[in-house]
Amino acid sequence: MSCANIIKKERTSVINPLVTCQPMGAMYAVAGIRRGLPLVHGAQGCSTFVRYAFARHFREPSEIAVTSLHEDAAVFGGRKNLISGIGNLAIRFKPSLIGVISTCSSEIIGDDMGGFIKVAIEEMKKRMGEKEAEKIKIVPISTPSFVETHFKGYDNTIKALVDNLACDPTEFNEKVNIIPGIVNPGDIREIKHILALMGIEGLILTDISDPFDSPLRPSATEFKPFYPKGGTTVEEICDTSNSLGTISLCRYAGSAAVSLEKKYDVPAAVGPIPIGVQNTDQFLRNLKKFTGLEIPDTILDERGLLIDSMADIVSRYLFGRKVAVFGDPAITSGIARFVCELGMIPSVVCTGVESPEFVEEMKKVAKESDEPVDVLIRSDLRDLETHLEEDPVDLMIGHSDGRLFAKSLDIPLIRVGFPVYDRVGYHRVPIVGYNGGINLIDRITNTVFEKYYDKEHWKLQQ
Amino acid sequence: MQNAFKSSKNFEKSDNSKKITNSSNQPNKSSAEASTDKIIIDQVSESIIKTLESRLDHMCIKKSDDERGPRCNTASVPGIVTQRSCVYGGARVVLMPITDAIHLVHGPIGCASCTWDIRGSRTSGDDLYKTGFSTNLEEKDIVFGGEKKLFNTIIELNSLYQPSAVFVYSTCVVGLIGDDLKAVCRESEKITKCRVIPVQSEGFRSFNKSLGHQLACDAMLDHLIGTGKLDDKLKSEIDAHPTLNIVGEFNVAGDLWAIKPLIEKMGIKVLSVLTGDSCVEDIAKAHYADLNIVQCQKSSNYLARQMEKKYKIPYLKVNFFGIGDTAKSLKIISEFFQDPEIMEKAGEIIKTEIETVRSKISHYKKRLTGKRVAVYVGGNKAWSLIRAFEELGMNVIMTGTQNGLPEDYERIMETVSEGTLVVDDANSMELSRLFQKYQPDLVISGAKEKYMTHKLGIPFCDFNHDRITSFAGFKGFINFAKELDRAVSSPVWKFTPKKYQGIQNE
Repeated sequence: MSCANIIKKERTSVINPLVTCQPMGAMYAVAGIRRGLPLVHGAQGCSTFVRYAFARHFREPSEIAVTSLHEDAAVFGGRKNLISGIGNLAIRFKPSLIGVISTCSSEIIGDDMGGFIKVAIEEMKKRMGEKEAEKIKIVPISTPSFVETHFKGYDNTIKALVDNLACDPTEFNEKVNIIPGIVNPGDIREIKHILALMGIEGLILTDISDPFDSPLRPSATEFKPFYPKGGTTVEEICDTSNSLGTISLCRYAGSAAVSLEKKYDVPAAVGPIPIGVQNTDQFLRNLKKFTGLEIPDTILDERGLLIDSMADIVSRYLFGRKVAVFGDPAITSGIARFVCELGMIPSVVCTGVESPEFVEEMKKVAKESDEPVDVLIRSDLRDLETHLEEDPVDLMIGHSDGRLFAKSLDIPLIRVGFPVYDRVGYHRVPIVGYNGGINLIDRITNTVFEKYYDKEHWKLQQ
Repeated sequence: MQNAFKSSKNFEKSDNSKKITNSSNQPNKSSAEASTDKIIIDQVSESIIKTLESRLDHMCIKKSDDERGPRCNTASVPGIVTQRSCVYGGARVVLMPITDAIHLVHGPIGCASCTWDIRGSRTSGDDLYKTGFSTNLEEKDIVFGGEKKLFNTIIELNSLYQPSAVFVYSTCVVGLIGDDLKAVCRESEKITKCRVIPVQSEGFRSFNKSLGHQLACDAMLDHLIGTGKLDDKLKSEIDAHPTLNIVGEFNVAGDLWAIKPLIEKMGIKVLSVLTGDSCVEDIAKAHYADLNIVQCQKSSNYLARQMEKKYKIPYLKVNFFGIGDTAKSLKIISEFFQDPEIMEKAGEIIKTEIETVRSKISHYKKRLTGKRVAVYVGGNKAWSLIRAFEELGMNVIMTGTQNGLPEDYERIMETVSEGTLVVDDANSMELSRLFQKYQPDLVISGAKEKYMTHKLGIPFCDFNHDRITSFAGFKGFINFAKELDRAVSSPVWKFTPKKYQGIQNE
């Protein structure tokens, strides 16, 4: 049993940030809705740079509209831009949902988004007819860029969707709501796979798996305008109040689950992300609790495959190695725990947020670690780099932004999470669930071979 | 090679445009005559594509008797998926290649997070410019002002890195809360003795990021160029050789390294580059040069014009994309100096390089001839690539920019051949409709457009920050031909649905 040393960044500046601002989390969440369109109420860069980031990571197009605020809006407010923006988007794209996402500028100007949306709906009715206009749901999402990070933006968005759309409960739909967090298409597919084996229908809030990993098959895609297949439907979001329970896979995005519990008595379970053995066990226990269903043999077999792979590999190649984990607070805490399960030491865990939930989670992880864990919160990559210069590790696990100092410190970087733009396929390969655990072990061990063993040696097979 | 997409009938049929309510059914007379051009357009409808009425005159087809370009430089329609960026983005692309400076973004974290280390500019020295710096403005800073935080940040960063300069970029928030960027920069400059340069690039200052380019140029003009001292070393260099600055070359993928040797071979010294692979001190001495040559005329004409006014340095517009244009550029540079030795050397370089390039590209040219290209870029490349494509036997059927100014479209209209479609500020829906309608064999654009193009089954070649191969100069042209061939001739396009009907269910 060991302890967690919580270290907060002392510097004023942020150098090589680990987080971005709220609207990005909102754009990600809205992109997971079938025929859902994010409309960013801000300057053009607010949407453009996020589209670029999504393109780089997912290698997929993303349609994100913007109200193109300019100087006159700073003086007179963004009313005109928002109202005509909603109208133009509605008429041209015929979306099912428009998520109106605020930014730093629109929040400071003090635009009354709720009020403007009401006017916009009236205008839409005039332009498109009442019936057509009513088909389009418009959800205001408040994401001031100068408060917290994109994780909060994601949380705010899922909550706004549920609060605006969840209907009064009618009867149980036998489904379980899942809030995945900012994860990859492969992760969501793995969650769906687990649910399918359990015989549960999941309601993913929101499901980016198909929109951000879609086939090149024009006949199967709606092209005019371009909408990817898949995504959570608006009807499904309305139906969340009838579900058996809500599981948020990340601690930072529990607001919607709590809201559903308070308003509609849909029981909530928030975190942990099912990475590694114990966290995935926990996820399955939650599923069992909400549905009353037994865990089938097929899943126990998958668990057994993970354990088998751990038994075969861990003691020989991984045990005792020191690891630095950084990035998304949910993913890092999940990986840190898994690292302990593999007999390695998460000697430093670094994230850009400052959240009590994350600290609590890390304290638990530290108890499972043989050696103390340095937990850097509200941190950045420069902090991690200087930390590692003094106290080096054998491996780093995090996203691509760590690549430069990984190279200069000569520590191998195992890529996980968002963004990964300098390797391919990582958005498709899950790291959650038992199967994800196997993928992670393989990825970690092969990296250890490359770096620390004579990789052509025949004894490696033993 | 067979042109895979000549027949676009299947696609046209599936074009169920009735599904889209549209406010733009008026006939557009200007495009009705386009059917006489060599581009095969089955039927020209009333407008080029369906779009909002206010957008119709942002697209036009070049005709011999009418050189007017499309309407441009207007605010984007709110509520479209724009391909444009913000003023901050514009300023940042111009200044970010300065390698030994800190590029500090004064704003909420996102403005820095989304833009650090995304400019594909390469360096031969310092790599400080690849680091992302932010003041991370938070709620309390919005309420009480961010000046103190900015000041502390500059002092802190200066002691951590001892940079040659700190560029401080203003973002939307700073404009709204009214931080006095200039005053803070002045104050911190006094204490740090390091150049602290304000860039007033509030994102929403204009719909056109060209303003950002201009503001970045202003930052260099007001605070950097002209501040370098003429020391003995520099004096002896200037006395020994004719000198020039390369303006508007950002060394994306190492383009500069293909251009600079050509100029040096002619016996001309490159005094400074604005701003690819540059150091702060070199830029400070730029005003000692005899000549400015402007590569990216979208972002940097303004800088050259201002330097002409202020320092009487004449400038030449050059273009190092394509064989003919590279040769022409070398020729006009050599002619400028009126030195027989330089002119002779230029002639030699052009002769030998052209021969090498021609022999090396013949293989690719065979495979590329006849292919139809659509170009949609930030500015300069909308005209500077046209001749390069023609040299490979390819036809540019469409070109356009996100941020073009009237002078840019003038250049485009004089460069493109008759029948070429010219578009301004096309949004994602318009682009996909244009690509579906005109079925180019290749699209040249940036990362945001790449995957949308692929989803339409059209090959794509990146000519933006994400490019990793140099395309400039004679050697770059060989790379360019190779990259285009890779994009167009990749076997995957045999399996896209239009071509591969074998297992379609519908």
